[in-house]
Amino acid sequence: MTQTFDTSTRTEAPLRADEVTALRGFLDYHRDTFRWKCSGLTQQQLAQPHAPSTMTLGGLMKHLALNEVGWFGHTLAGAAYPPPFTDIDWDADPDWEWRTAADDGPVALRALYDDCVRRADTAIDQALARDGLDARSAEPSSKDGPFSLRWILLHMIEEYARHNGHADLIRESIDGMTGE
Amino acid sequence: MSDVAADPRVDPPLHGDEVTILRSFLTFHRDTLRWKCSGLTPAQLARPLPPSEMTLGGMMKHLALVESNWFDSVFSGVDLMPPFDTVDWDADRDWEWHSARDDSPEELRTLFDEAVRRADAVVDEALTHAGLEQESARKSRHQDSTFTLRWILVHLIEEYSRHNGHADLIRESIDGQTGE
Repeated sequence: MTQTFDTSTRTEAPLRADEVTALRGFLDYHRDTFRWKCSGLTQQQLAQPHAPSTMTLGGLMKHLALNEVGWFGHTLAGAAYPPPFTDIDWDADPDWEWRTAADDGPVALRALYDDCVRRADTAIDQALARDGLDARSAEPSSKDGPFSLRWILLHMIEEYARHNGHADLIRESIDGMTGE
Repeated sequence: MSDVAADPRVDPPLHGDEVTILRSFLTFHRDTLRWKCSGLTPAQLARPLPPSEMTLGGMMKHLALVESNWFDSVFSGVDLMPPFDTVDWDADRDWEWHSARDDSPEELRTLFDEAVRRADAVVDEALTHAGLEQESARKSRHQDSTFTLRWILVHLIEEYSRHNGHADLIRESIDGQTGE
């Protein structure tokens, strides 16, 4: 079994929109770009790096799932991490999500990813309803105080876009598929 | 060789109005590209990570074109900056990627810096008249719609981020340098 993605469902961020709509539109576009880049591959292909880098598409998927619940769930909303990210000794195993993705099947990885995106969107909805894009994060930065929701959304757009750049080259090396 | 600079980048502020945050993220990614392309010889700037044909030199020239295309052509409705204004794009639609191998590192960096300087001048001037809702002089080629300045700035952030993702893997394959 592989993951599937229907590219006709991927939509560009609206060209004339308010700030919230534009930022969420760009974030959704990159989430879907990432689903597309990871779709149709076997567990072995998802675990195949493009040397000398050690990144894999499966690892990226688990890493971005962690980022979704890390930034929007934990940092923004102050929520606990959902399984499987609980009870992990991150100090002893800082790359746990990258390393363990090779043991997960394509369908399980995608289910985890989609669940983390859903949790993130709920946290965004709640913060926007409360304070808009100036909403302050429950958890502060280590040195500069709380984050604004505006900053977190833009950070996630650049985080996804950069990882989609990695995904472009990794995917092309696996089966030749390219495309923006 | 171009200069090997210590990482000169400034992290975007965690709070701020929309214009400040968008421009800070854009500057951060322009500087990330400068950093990823610094300290390399002409041969290294022309070296791809197969099977992709992208090179760091080509990427620098491409992003100079992207800056001029969005801010001169689409937003302002004027001609592209030299040398892009006189290129026969029908003869080679990837001219900037291909011709970069004939340019020295210094020439590529000078062109890139000039494109960024011009783009910033366009944004500065536009923001003295109106805000991020103002619309582009030219319409999208795909939709019957103009672009807001907001859309263009967020798009540039994701365009740079994605190419910086490519640059991460290409740079690592050239000399092992990594880093966010």
